[in-house]
Amino acid sequence: MSTRKPSYTNPRPCKHLSAYKLKHGLSGYKSLQKCLKTTPNGRTSVENPGTKISRCSSCNGYQGRLYFCLICSSISCSGHTLLHTQSEIGHDLAVDIERAELYCCACSDQVYDPDFDKTVMSKHMLDLSYSTNRNSADSIGERLCERKRLGSGVELADLNKSGQLALMRDHRAKSCYPLGLRGLNNLGNTCFMNSVLQALLHAPPMRNYFLSDRHNRRTCRKRSANRLCLPCELDGIFSAVYSGGGDRTPYSPAQFLYSWWQHSENLASYEQQDAHEFFISVLDGIHERESKARNQTRDSGDCQCITHRVFSGQLRSDVTCMTCGFTSTTYDPCLDISLDLDTNHCSNKPVKRNDNSSTSTLLGCLDLFTKPEKLGTDQKLFCQNCQEPRDSSKQLSIRKLPLVLCLHIKRFEHSLVRKMMRKIDSYMHFPFSLDMTPYLSSSIVRNRFGNRIFAFEGDDSDNSTEFEIFAVITHSGTLDSGHYLTYLRIKEQWYKCDNAWISEVDERVVRASQCYMMFYVHKTLYYKAKEDLSCLPVSTRKEAFHRVAGCC
Amino acid sequence: MELLRERLIECGWKDEMKALCRSFIKKKGRNNVTVDDLVHVITPKGRASIPDSVKAELLQRIRTFLMSAAL
Repeated sequence: MSTRKPSYTNPRPCKHLSAYKLKHGLSGYKSLQKCLKTTPNGRTSVENPGTKISRCSSCNGYQGRLYFCLICSSISCSGHTLLHTQSEIGHDLAVDIERAELYCCACSDQVYDPDFDKTVMSKHMLDLSYSTNRNSADSIGERLCERKRLGSGVELADLNKSGQLALMRDHRAKSCYPLGLRGLNNLGNTCFMNSVLQALLHAPPMRNYFLSDRHNRRTCRKRSANRLCLPCELDGIFSAVYSGGGDRTPYSPAQFLYSWWQHSENLASYEQQDAHEFFISVLDGIHERESKARNQTRDSGDCQCITHRVFSGQLRSDVTCMTCGFTSTTYDPCLDISLDLDTNHCSNKPVKRNDNSSTSTLLGCLDLFTKPEKLGTDQKLFCQNCQEPRDSSKQLSIRKLPLVLCLHIKRFEHSLVRKMMRKIDSYMHFPFSLDMTPYLSSSIVRNRFGNRIFAFEGDDSDNSTEFEIFAVITHSGTLDSGHYLTYLRIKEQWYKCDNAWISEVDERVVRASQCYMMFYVHKTLYYKAKEDLSCLPVSTRKEAFHRVAGCC
Repeated sequence: MELLRERLIECGWKDEMKALCRSFIKKKGRNNVTVDDLVHVITPKGRASIPDSVKAELLQRIRTFLMSAAL
């Protein structure tokens, strides 16, 4: 549908804008700056001195958009801008009064100039600095710096190659499963563990790490003095699953389970656990182990253990005072993002919906996640600027994306009425390719100030915001008795992993499934992964490919 | 003004307008559209699709203000 990826390359100015800039430079903008009026929520407008309302100098009209000429300061309505530029040569550039946006009367269109936007933004900062005692540069959130932006869009030379690979795929390959696909036996309600393990086994960075023998069982055990080590056990599973000519019968991850019980004693039982809880617990176990081994006590912010290198991202939380506009920003690390479903959670929806926007979508959930949320009047936060508790609004955004993005859908809800947990079964549509640009802090904060063009700190570092899905964990059933499954995408073919049973499925089945956790990996790693594992038959024995029943 | 903006965002009107703009731009081609075109096309649709509750609330506020100012 519509491309959600705005290009923040500076658009080429029209010839009128270039001419204006050549002749007047920034002096026009600077004098305009004195007439700008800013509001706490980011809107800027051109101030109207006196009490009379602004009227068009040609027709005396005051309705619609009014434009303020940068050369002669006369005001024209949208119908008469052309007239103005025809009667006064050179008076092409104007500013939309209500929005403080540049308009070219000759082209009859909005134009963009980073210098103009910079002027507008510095007015915001100036205004804020007058109302605070401290240095204003920090209080808007990030220091705005102007940098030359190169065109976005990383050229993936691999893309063409991998396209050919798909075409050349051997049709005999259908009868064999690619390397790394192996069933996991259910050891007693452990489908929650098996489903997460399958996803971890196929996360490209994790797989590369363990298969490159970066965590060596032999050297590790020596250090930990014969105590069980979670990464060692995970390494064991990787070896078992990816072994070339080895056993393809379902594997029993008993050692791993035992090792995990040691780590998370409170969850050690034969009861069904929550897959997401298990996921976080395993990552924590690996992190603990790795940081102990290296004798480092760094916090998760700059931890270099495999868990954090793969899954750790950073969230930005902005709390804005609704009275003065002062924003305080905090950054928190995160290993995954838990999203609320976006259906039926908004009150009053009287607008008639002409299209089928009643189904929940992943993009809708992400929108909800990054939407500014007004904190209730009983949750007034202390504003440093106003020096008293004020109504505030909070907005989350993603400052740094991880290599592998795990999205968790909160399907288990506390029902306050019945005082128990219930499961939300609504279907949620999710894409296979995901572009996270609109949810980045740079996009979210930029949008607060209207249509501005400026480079945001940290903008050019993340050229890769495109992700590809590689695993989906679904949950079916009720809260107490449910079943977890994992769908894996390997080289454009989807596989269903139901404990010991692996089978090929069509992508439509996956799209229609009720997703609970989704794993997306950076597009660059995904395509690379497609080339690494060649789909060669690993065994010529026919009997290796029929599904072997495991104990369940 | 801020109240009106808030109400319109809450009830989804703004998103609907955004979607209308996007589809219009897609139809015309990104480089063939000017702001004026958009304004002319979207304005009537926008005015027509404002929910009655929002209209009622705003009118009520205006009425109250006028009465208080007249005293």
